[in-house]
Amino acid sequence: MMACNRLSTSLGKAKFIALHLAVLTPLTLMGQSRDGIRYKDLEFEPLLFNQPSSEIHKITGKVNVLFLQDSSLPLVSLFARFRGGTVHFNREEQGVVTAVPMLLRTGGSEQITPDSIDTLLEQYAINLSFGRDGKSSFSSLNTLTDYLDESLEIWSLLLTQPGFSPEMIHVWRNQELDYLRRSERDPNTIAIRTFNQLMFGDHPTGWTLRPEDLDPEDLDPENLRAIHRKIFCRDNLTLGVTGNTTWSNILPKLNKLAESIPPCESTFKEILPIPVSAGPGIYVVANGLPQTTIIMGKHSKVKLDDHTEYFAAQVGNLILGGSGLNSRLSDRIRTESGLSYSASSIWTAPTQPPGVLAAMTQTKNSSTATVINLISKVLQEMAEKPPNSKEVRDAIDEISNGFIFNFQSPAQIVSRQMLYLTQNLPLNWLSIYLKGIQQINAQDIHNIFSENIALTGLEDMVTVVVGNHDMLESELKKIGTVYKIEPN
Amino acid sequence: MPFFLIFIFIVLLPQCHGEAQTQEVTALPVTEYQLENGMRFLILEKSESPTVSFVLQYRVGGINDKTGSTGTSHLLEHLLFKGTHTIGTLDPEQETFLLNRMDLLEDSIVILEGKNPTSPVIVDLKKDILQIEERAKIYVVANEFEGILTRNGARGLNASTDSESTKYYLELPSNRAELWFMLESERMTQPIFREFYTERDVVAEERRSRIETQPGNLLYEAHLKAAFKVHPYREPVVGHMQDINNLTRRDIRSHYEKYYGPENAVVAVVGNIEAELVQQWANQYFGHLPRGRSEGTVAHAEPDQKKERRVSVIFQAEPQLRIGWHTVPTAHPDSPALMVLAALLTGNRSSRLFQRLVVQDQTASNVSSSLGPGDLFPRLFSIGVSIQSSAKAEDIEQAVYDELETLAQKPPSEEEIQKIRNQISAGQIRGLASNFGLALQLAHSTALFGDWRYTFELSQELKNVEPEMISQVIKKFFNPNNRTVATLVPTNSCVR
Repeated sequence: MMACNRLSTSLGKAKFIALHLAVLTPLTLMGQSRDGIRYKDLEFEPLLFNQPSSEIHKITGKVNVLFLQDSSLPLVSLFARFRGGTVHFNREEQGVVTAVPMLLRTGGSEQITPDSIDTLLEQYAINLSFGRDGKSSFSSLNTLTDYLDESLEIWSLLLTQPGFSPEMIHVWRNQELDYLRRSERDPNTIAIRTFNQLMFGDHPTGWTLRPEDLDPEDLDPENLRAIHRKIFCRDNLTLGVTGNTTWSNILPKLNKLAESIPPCESTFKEILPIPVSAGPGIYVVANGLPQTTIIMGKHSKVKLDDHTEYFAAQVGNLILGGSGLNSRLSDRIRTESGLSYSASSIWTAPTQPPGVLAAMTQTKNSSTATVINLISKVLQEMAEKPPNSKEVRDAIDEISNGFIFNFQSPAQIVSRQMLYLTQNLPLNWLSIYLKGIQQINAQDIHNIFSENIALTGLEDMVTVVVGNHDMLESELKKIGTVYKIEPN
Repeated sequence: MPFFLIFIFIVLLPQCHGEAQTQEVTALPVTEYQLENGMRFLILEKSESPTVSFVLQYRVGGINDKTGSTGTSHLLEHLLFKGTHTIGTLDPEQETFLLNRMDLLEDSIVILEGKNPTSPVIVDLKKDILQIEERAKIYVVANEFEGILTRNGARGLNASTDSESTKYYLELPSNRAELWFMLESERMTQPIFREFYTERDVVAEERRSRIETQPGNLLYEAHLKAAFKVHPYREPVVGHMQDINNLTRRDIRSHYEKYYGPENAVVAVVGNIEAELVQQWANQYFGHLPRGRSEGTVAHAEPDQKKERRVSVIFQAEPQLRIGWHTVPTAHPDSPALMVLAALLTGNRSSRLFQRLVVQDQTASNVSSSLGPGDLFPRLFSIGVSIQSSAKAEDIEQAVYDELETLAQKPPSEEEIQKIRNQISAGQIRGLASNFGLALQLAHSTALFGDWRYTFELSQELKNVEPEMISQVIKKFFNPNNRTVATLVPTNSCVR
């Protein structure tokens, strides 16, 4: 597996000596080049490896299971992903939908108190977590192989017979309310939340939890059970297993688990398309901190799909702001100007667009307008002309040469392939992705940016600024229309 | 599940499982290799995935910064990503000429400031320096050092500075491992600290992002400053804003020359790579480096605290509380009991303070404990509480003292301690899964404690902690005169 490196010779040596004579540095130049070799002279043999992939099985109740054995350590990991998340429920149900997975972990079971569950998990040193995103709810469990049976029994109890202890609901509610209060003071959280609200309006994608969603009457155990029945049912379930167990050993246990989970009583309604939301402008949320947070972005129609547009957006985003210090945003705002510690971009491409293309950074208050103009200029340049060939090659090399890091652990492989299943992507999507990325050229990237960004830069952008409104207002008004948003 | 079954599970838990595992951990096939110049390599071959993790750790951190120059170690860490005399430049000669001119002007400023700090010439000279840096930028190939690595597939490329260490780390596909040796040896021998003033501004922005807009970190900074009166643990690693703005290229060069010799560096390499090949490249790229002049870390000893100290930070934020007690360095025999105490108090949902403050009293939304900020000198055992807005900080403080007093009077049960032991054992096994995690642990253990086995053995010592030892350390350290209390007090004002 280990490749040998061959070093090229004379040309590199000659170049190095020339530089050495010219620089006259106080230290002897020995590190990289004792033998006159420079990094450009290193050659690497191809990395040969077999891409590991999960086996897919169908078990009791037509539940799909992804399985990948890994006997390197005496551990087993199990993953459950249920279709059903916040986007499938009404605004007034958001508190309960958020509460259910959290209370599955902390609310005990019908027979066992929350304290006893905690004690068991700690005694067996089981790592157990529950969570949710927009479209799914999920749980993962990691246990020593010796305690696989006990772990599965506890997991099954929590998934199928949750206790939703009123005391623990109260504790969770108090913690959540405190978290929301603290978030209200965090500039980055405020910026992201405000941006989402502006981009997605009153659509589930833009909703965030509010204190009024946590009304004690809504968080009644019966309401939690009703939501639990809708999400945590067999027809919504995909399972994943990896670790130190065989398929023949785990199969009967998984069948037992699947049998204990009832079939779904109903299916989720189709998610409504996202309406056009706030118009372009600069939206300011006032605070009194010495630094301003800025997000600038817009909707994107790019869809997660085996299509040039999608791959071009991925590569283009690396060039724009997705590749750390080497990206244009970071280069201009941080490296060249010293105006920010971090400047980055995202380009989301969901299976059901729109997604967003957005840049985010923080800078001292007095640099706010300058940085907004810089972001705008960088975006404009991406729309105006294709990136240079080195930028494209470097971005593709970054993905291609780092491809192996998608296969570092079996747990990573199984959980990723479970996600593909829920997104109706083929299990070998990652290989399709790599091939797609490698075919992208500068013109593809130019096309996707020019389709998504107006050449006038700021004109169709939603810009959120969390900072000192009074100090910033006059400068911002020179850039665009300013709207003041009162903090929640 | 019937209750009796659960009881059986608990009682029947095998208690020796972890011991066997620790023996296996300390018997990991780690190859130790030291060059004649003192640079040490720890190599662990793991073949699960064709990748390699590298951690290079220097024994230098915030405590090595001079008074009035806080943030030096951290800014140096940033500047080492700026390339070398040959990487990141289009014209080394012209660029070096301009950088040297900047240094000369900086020297002039230092002299003038000694004579007449308000001299208008200083302002002009500072402008000149920035203009020269702008001129020098035409020779810069921005971020070339990082670019070489990322286009070769590097992941997790980053660095960190803490009180006692500076770490540089990344992961590479194993066929490209030699690249690390080549680039890192170059960075070790010929850094150039280009774009200095721009990067100093970046660090100032980092301080604003991480400290000045983050109430929890502001409170932490104030807590350490109040708890340590003499020891450099009191200073922020990122530096005070004024100190950051006064740092010069000469400060950085001097710090680098003092602490970045090979004898002060430890490298951990974990992954799909042959130890022999690592040794060969270690010799080829680092073997000829001359030994540096690193001195051991000397810090003024913190005098015994005579009475309780209290400090408040007023900020537009939700209330928080930190209580800290001076204890011992990590290598002290009392340390394992203190670490188990931390787990017992706040380690998980059934821990004492979580149950008391979050579940029972519901006066806090979260509670945590830590020992720090470093390892080598007596540390502060700190308890941090996110206070519910309806609760009073003094009630929470009292509840914390009550729980400590209860434990001082009556040791925890054997079952409580056994739960923690089980989690330590499982944690050790889980820790073996990550090449990067192992590399961090090997480098840290070796750099600070001289032996890669140290932190693994410490885990074993944690499992040897008996319930009575918990009561003993509480009685020894947790007295009122030895504690410092820091509270974050909310203000309705928009301006701090």
